[in-house]
Amino acid sequence: MTSTSSIKILSCILVFLVMACKGEKEEYHNLIDKIEAKSVEYKRKSIQEQDLFDPNDLVQINENNIQFHIQNRKNKIQSFECSECHTKPVAQLQTEGLGKKAHWDVTLKHADKNTMSCLSCHKDNDMNNLQSVTGKSIDLNYSYQLCNQCHNQEVKDWAGGAHGKNLSGWQGSRVSKLCTECHDPHDPSIKKRWPSRYNSVMVSERK
Amino acid sequence: MKVFKKLVKDSIIHMTYGRRSYHIWMAVLTVLMLVGMFCYSLQLEHGLSVTGMNDRVSWGLYISNFTFLVGVAAAAVMLVLPAYILKDIDFKQAVLIGEGLAVAALFMCLAFVVADMGGPARLWHIIPFIGVFNFPNSMLTWDVLVLNGYLFINLSIPFYILYQRYQGKTPNPKIYIPGVFISVFWAVAIHLVTAFLYQGLQARPFWNNALLGPRFLASAFAAGPSLIIIALAIIRKFTDFKIEDKTIKKIALVVTVAAQINLIMLISELFKEFYAPTHHSESAYYLFFGLHGKARLVPWIWTAITMNVTATIILTFHKLRNNLNILYFACALLFIGIWIEKGFGLIVPGFIPGPWGKIVEYFPTLTEIGVTIGIWAMGAFIFSILARTGIAIELGEIKFKK
Amino acid sequence: MKKHIKKWFSLDLNDKKKKDDQCGCSGGGCNSGPKETKDGYNQVFDVNMNRRQAFKKLTAGLLIGAGAANASCSVTGDDASKEKSEIEWEEYFKGNYKLMSDEERDNTVDRLVRSYELRTGSKVNLSSKDAEPDVLFGYAFNISKCQGYMDCVNACVEENNQDRDSQMQYIRIHEMNDGKGLNFGEADDTYYHEVPAAGHFYMGTQCFHCDNPPCIEVCPVEATWREKDGLVVIDYDWCIGCRYCMAACPYDGRRFNWDTPEVPEVEVNKNQHYLGNRLRKKGVMEKCTFCIQRTRNGKNPACVEACPTGSRIFGNLLDPESEIRWVLENKKVFRLKEDLGTEPKFWYFMD
Repeated sequence: MTSTSSIKILSCILVFLVMACKGEKEEYHNLIDKIEAKSVEYKRKSIQEQDLFDPNDLVQINENNIQFHIQNRKNKIQSFECSECHTKPVAQLQTEGLGKKAHWDVTLKHADKNTMSCLSCHKDNDMNNLQSVTGKSIDLNYSYQLCNQCHNQEVKDWAGGAHGKNLSGWQGSRVSKLCTECHDPHDPSIKKRWPSRYNSVMVSERK
Repeated sequence: MKVFKKLVKDSIIHMTYGRRSYHIWMAVLTVLMLVGMFCYSLQLEHGLSVTGMNDRVSWGLYISNFTFLVGVAAAAVMLVLPAYILKDIDFKQAVLIGEGLAVAALFMCLAFVVADMGGPARLWHIIPFIGVFNFPNSMLTWDVLVLNGYLFINLSIPFYILYQRYQGKTPNPKIYIPGVFISVFWAVAIHLVTAFLYQGLQARPFWNNALLGPRFLASAFAAGPSLIIIALAIIRKFTDFKIEDKTIKKIALVVTVAAQINLIMLISELFKEFYAPTHHSESAYYLFFGLHGKARLVPWIWTAITMNVTATIILTFHKLRNNLNILYFACALLFIGIWIEKGFGLIVPGFIPGPWGKIVEYFPTLTEIGVTIGIWAMGAFIFSILARTGIAIELGEIKFKK
Repeated sequence: MKKHIKKWFSLDLNDKKKKDDQCGCSGGGCNSGPKETKDGYNQVFDVNMNRRQAFKKLTAGLLIGAGAANASCSVTGDDASKEKSEIEWEEYFKGNYKLMSDEERDNTVDRLVRSYELRTGSKVNLSSKDAEPDVLFGYAFNISKCQGYMDCVNACVEENNQDRDSQMQYIRIHEMNDGKGLNFGEADDTYYHEVPAAGHFYMGTQCFHCDNPPCIEVCPVEATWREKDGLVVIDYDWCIGCRYCMAACPYDGRRFNWDTPEVPEVEVNKNQHYLGNRLRKKGVMEKCTFCIQRTRNGKNPACVEACPTGSRIFGNLLDPESEIRWVLENKKVFRLKEDLGTEPKFWYFMD
């Protein structure tokens, strides 16, 4: 009697254990497979729908076949148009002793003297625009094209979305910050500062 | 029904009368339980911040004791196996005591789990069909099932036997033998499932190894019967219940073998951790030698290992093992050593260092210790009541008189 | 969504067969639920459906009766405290958020808003917005750009109403050592000096919203689960506080309220989501939700928004034109502890 009942009990337990498999297994072996399988064309919200920016304030960029927007830069520059003051060449303005007006104290801390001078970017006879290495005019709103000359990799990353700051959120049509909104072109390095926070609880815990 | 009522009445009468030493024992236990209840009320009021646990070491004294006591409960059945399956008469006397111990240990386990919960008022969420029961994914749900099932088995079978004896009848083997048989497998299951709770976490490499389950079983079968031996010794001294020397010696043999296997497993673990240490061995380093200057657990584990090794050596020698006084001493050493090893030596180092390598040390607060002592007192109280009633029925002191 | 949830233990004999077929990597997601031909077991267990509804009706009756008794019998309490206790009573007996019908969800949102109003007098905006289709959130972190400013940590704490006393932070920023690789053990996440310090680089960790999370497997009451849009969320009122999920998380993603969390009234963020930053209570688990109250409204999480260097990138993994997809396809990305098989949706890369 004991042997048959024990076999019955054992088989019950066995069946029970086999049935109770762990959780629901996903149909995909890993995350990348899942992403590839489930990708669909996703319509991001247009600028008008987003209601965050004034459409007139945005400039469309098309770089490496990627389209996105940046904010208009020209209408935020305090003393645009530059030609209101810059009627003569810069060298002349500096020596003529017109006094310390506006941005007299801009020092250039960008690369070295061999690489960069004021005229590397600014067009002497047309201060309302910038100039490329080959002398072509570049509008101030598209100043990233200047940066692109040396920092091609960063601009590529920026166009893709891996570099720089996103302003629009993930669902809205993309609005990014322009290079110069984070990197002062005359002194582009990111500055040191103190952290925003001190973790006193963690410090006492870890003692 | 009439019989049952009479049984309860007789038991209560018998429980409340006794020698002075019995009353003092119960009084002490009651005081400790009240202290525990007070500490628990503090915990309910202020939350678990009154304990020493934190975001890095989120399980501490409560779960350590829970783990250890599941093992003790499982081991009670170690006596059932020879008594009924191998038909060894000598064990039969110890079986009821063993099952009483299992019941007490299980109540302690459940109490520790409830004490550890952040939201005990919401415990109804785990009841199947009323709440959501995440079975079979969550090992905790398996644990809930097996522990409650084991409690049911260990309450119902001895109750049946005692009920029959109370009436002067002999219990029918056809009824209790299958239950006994199931309880043997079930005992292994409860401790294996509890081990799987930890073993299945890939995030904690200290626990995520294949040996954890078998190690749990080995240490349980060493610690549980040790406690039973000590309990039997006390019972022999204070009651008329006849327990033969050879019963105790046979249980001692079980303890010896289990303790030896436990040591072998310890050696295996030490080899794995220290022969070719990896990043995953940091927990073991912290436990045995201290890490980056933090070494709070080092004295504990070395004490535990010393106790275990000493006890195992003593038990290995027949001459020493058969000397009952030395045996009791060795059993006490082993019990305490395994308690430390399974608690502070297993649960806490699993969390240290944390997932990002940060070391935050843990030590229980007084409130935590208070609740723990209260629950142990509760377990001793329950065991005393059950043992007293059970023995009285076995000896015929309580009989159903028509 | 509800058919994926195991309300109770059921021997899914039919389901298991279906899954074996799909494991042949057909690739296509089979979203249609298994058409259950009821065999003996299912027929038995199907009866429980009625039992649950019966119990629901029972508790509803109990609630109404008890609430009425509570309200009417209390002579001393004024209306506000009576309403408060009624709300507390009903909140105690409500079920798991996943299993609630839309009506039940609206009711609990109303109760919570009202209870906050009774406590403090101000209103919160509590949403229970569901996941949008065709969205799977992903996150990327640029190690080269992080300077250790911890602006993200501040923004997260303010956005998510975390306990100020224990300084609960979902995000940890680790100051790693140059040349030592990703050695977190020797990193420091409690630094306080000018950053970036020489000889160090900085990495942030938080809940990675794994696609195969170990934490949801181990929860005994299914108080935590992965939503359709990939976010791993917690129903704070259902959590019993066992902390098993905390033990199971390999990334230190979860935080526990050891004490009653307190946020100064003026700092409470009133735009809340039921599964996100609504005010929690003592003894429940919480974690980063990728700011579910923001992301389900199309915005970026607070940490992404706050980072001044743009090292945090967030987006919809299922949109081939999103920035996150560009990062995954064009940068050399990796994830932490990938060998554990958790499939986190949080990638790291360097320029």
